[in-house]
Amino acid sequence: MGGAAAALDFDAELMLRVKEGDGASFGVLLEKHRSSVVHFLYRMIQNHAVAEELAQEVFLRVYRSRSTYEPTAKFTTWLFRIATHLALNALRDGKNERSQERLDDDSSDMPVRQVSDRRPSVEQSLVYQAKLDEIRRAIAALPEKQRAAVLMHKYEEMEYSQIAKVLACSESAVKSLLFRAYETLRARLAHMA
Amino acid sequence: MICPLEIPENAQVLIDYGTRKLDSERTATLERHMEHCPSCRKFVVEQRALWEAMDNWEAPPVSRDFDRRLYARVEREVSVWEMLARPFRPLLVRQGLPVAAAACLLVFAGVLIDQPPGSPVAPQKDVAQVESVQPEQVEQALDAMEMLSEFSHHVRSEGQESKL
Repeated sequence: MGGAAAALDFDAELMLRVKEGDGASFGVLLEKHRSSVVHFLYRMIQNHAVAEELAQEVFLRVYRSRSTYEPTAKFTTWLFRIATHLALNALRDGKNERSQERLDDDSSDMPVRQVSDRRPSVEQSLVYQAKLDEIRRAIAALPEKQRAAVLMHKYEEMEYSQIAKVLACSESAVKSLLFRAYETLRARLAHMA
Repeated sequence: MICPLEIPENAQVLIDYGTRKLDSERTATLERHMEHCPSCRKFVVEQRALWEAMDNWEAPPVSRDFDRRLYARVEREVSVWEMLARPFRPLLVRQGLPVAAAACLLVFAGVLIDQPPGSPVAPQKDVAQVESVQPEQVEQALDAMEMLSEFSHHVRSEGQESKL
């Protein structure tokens, strides 16, 4: 928690420097949060190009808001609130249609993960890709808010309170969202265990 | 301990246990409960398996030109604002001009306020001239009537004198 508090101060401090016209501080914030924002959006939208486009919009909005920025909340809460808002809008606008249609083809985006120290066989790769596709489909099938909550909880390791602020709901609502989402995923992916 | 799965509000404790977010006291209590609760044990095992499966889903790396594209957009945005603000910049920079503009505005507003409502404008000038001529005509008419009256009075008195 102490680390989180220090991170809050540091990010907010950087953003306040950006407000004062320090472009280099914006660069530091970008370097620090670029990957997490792009990866979160990628897992939400499941299309790499669209995710990067939205991530650019997130950082552009952060830059645009520099003059009115007030450190009232944790910087990452604000950042992920913008990212989630854009992702939900994109999903509603059907911007991800292409990615849903090409879910199988899109696997070329994925880094090839080695399941053992030796190079994976063709069969192992195929099994791995099939499992991965199942996970992606299961997550894509979750309702939007449940999906966002799971991704922030699992991959960004955010606290319930922070997820609640990002999704503009109560902590108990987040716990309920997560419980239902994980329940669905466990049922869908039970055969993989 | 009541089984967390029996109370929906408490079920989250099993997820927190899986992510090691519970303090030592609550962890010990839950572990004692799980020793004789197969449902909770099953839940924890399945949840861990799910997370392991989810760990396999790695996001692709961010494009190398991400920052370059972003800074190009920032630059473009700054340029657009500069372009929009350019015509107004000299007015904003020179301190005398805003004062002069304000003074001009005040004078113009003063002139507008000073004008009486319905003041004569070009087409009404003729009407005003007609109105200014009319009293003269009346005056002349009154003079003529006075002369006629004097004349008739004079004629009448001359007639009485001739009768006498």
